[in-house]
Amino acid sequence: MAIKQAAGRFLGVICCLFWVSTVATASSLSYELTPRLIAKDTWLLQGKLEDFSRDNGANIVNTAFIVTSEGVVVIDSGPSKRYAQAFRSAIASVTDQPVTDVFITHHHPDHFLGNQAFSDVNIWALPTTGRLIAEQGNVFAENMYRLAGDWMRGTEVLMPNKPLEQTAMTIGDHRFRFLSLEGHTGADLAILDETTGTLFAGDLVFYQRALTTPHTPGIDQWLTDLDKLAALEVALIVPGHGPVDAKGKSIEQMRAYLVWLDKTLTQAAFEGLSMNEVMKIPTEPEFADIALTQYEFIRTVFHLYAGYEEAAF
Amino acid sequence: MRTFPAILVLLCLCVPMAAWSQVNNELITQASHNDTERAEQADPLNSPVWHYLRARFLGESPYQFDDRVVVSVPPFAEDPTQVPLLVDVSAIDEPLLRLVVWADLNPIQHIYSVESADRHLPRIAIRFKVQQATPVRAAVLTESGKWLVGGQYLEAAGGGCTAPSMANASPYWESHLGEIESRSFERAMNSGRSSQRYKVKIIHPMDTGLVSGIPEFYIQQLEVRRPDQAAILSMELSQPVSENPVFTFDMSSASVTAQDRYKLWMRDNNGNVFEQAL
Repeated sequence: MAIKQAAGRFLGVICCLFWVSTVATASSLSYELTPRLIAKDTWLLQGKLEDFSRDNGANIVNTAFIVTSEGVVVIDSGPSKRYAQAFRSAIASVTDQPVTDVFITHHHPDHFLGNQAFSDVNIWALPTTGRLIAEQGNVFAENMYRLAGDWMRGTEVLMPNKPLEQTAMTIGDHRFRFLSLEGHTGADLAILDETTGTLFAGDLVFYQRALTTPHTPGIDQWLTDLDKLAALEVALIVPGHGPVDAKGKSIEQMRAYLVWLDKTLTQAAFEGLSMNEVMKIPTEPEFADIALTQYEFIRTVFHLYAGYEEAAF
Repeated sequence: MRTFPAILVLLCLCVPMAAWSQVNNELITQASHNDTERAEQADPLNSPVWHYLRARFLGESPYQFDDRVVVSVPPFAEDPTQVPLLVDVSAIDEPLLRLVVWADLNPIQHIYSVESADRHLPRIAIRFKVQQATPVRAAVLTESGKWLVGGQYLEAAGGGCTAPSMANASPYWESHLGEIESRSFERAMNSGRSSQRYKVKIIHPMDTGLVSGIPEFYIQQLEVRRPDQAAILSMELSQPVSENPVFTFDMSSASVTAQDRYKLWMRDNNGNVFEQAL
């Protein structure tokens, strides 16, 4: 009897789940992308200050486009095919100009998995970024299906088709300068639109959202890169994640956190702390307003602490 | 209209699942009848294999879930090949005969077991490989013959046990196999007693044998020995211990004396022996 009841309950639960999932599918997954004008000809699609999830469809990233006199330039294609299709509609809602060029800042999935929707145009990336996408892209894509679910449907890795070796390019009435840097992933493209003074920093700069470290060559390198960005004549910084910044505060915040991280991990290693103990170190109160700090700190200990331990033996 | 066949499929699935759950319930009932003295405690981590693994690692001895057996893992396995795992039983104030540590849903569940000559088990931190999200357990055998069990759930995307070791892609390990680095640190313990922390790293691929064409190759035994060769700590290690293992031991002052100069001794499943003064 008990088993029959349990089975009946189980069936009921399954049917409910099925019904719920039918309803959820019926309400279509929509990214609701609304471009915001942040500088002359320059539009931003700002992502949420969150981690990848089935609620946000992995829309946690900033993408942007610049309407030049000879076509639209896109900065990063976004986390999924569905996102990038919505991205193209968003572009079409503010200009009749065709998209001509996409620039991928680095090989992380939220920045290039929308490439399929731009298969008809130039997709530029640093040569090393292309190599890293070829090596790791499919693993990233699989993981994104796990984290974001149905939002990813139909998304596949599409390689960039133009290796970026130039350090500058003029497209229509805009002049772009390219900086090939390394701090976040080993191949990070920062793009300065010299015409408007807008710096698209990619994930070399996070603002009000904790930085991520899975492929960083090291904190020293990242700090060196930030010095290079800080030395540029810039009117507005567009970080890879978080709000735009006209005062350079994002770079200061990055520096302060990276310096704290380096100091904390060094000290922990020389005190002989185990990884588990390091993960429980509270982050400084000055970083309390930065989204996901403690979560990303734990990830960073996974990524970087073994190197600090090695140095302390 | 389109939902109809889907419901049929679900109905078909439900019948065998109900039957399976009946078989499982009977097995569990039988297991608990075998030992009427043991109070059946529900597994706080609600693992499908708790009874199977309890019987395998603890036998039919009595056991009890106990918060003093502290298993510390991160909330998620960011890197499934190097998950830090700290086990601390220092809050238990009685002699302890043996500690067994395992991950319920790993293809090779056992991670390590340890015994100590003076029956004081040190706090031990290692890293291990995880194949999927799983409860991670530690069980410690008291002198009275009862196992005290602690655990923690580890979230993971997984794949750590079937990923080739880094050593497989680089010849570095061939010329550095068994190289050991070690360092000791003074630590203050919660109780106010001081302890000596030993941290050791050894170069070893620790291949699980679960990657096609790469046979298992891992350190099986580890001992901390006194100058007279007597082991004060003996560990049995299994394949899930991470590549290039880092071990951290906190030896309480009761087991460490100033004139002691300990030696670390290890042997892998190919018979290679590695030794180093601590």
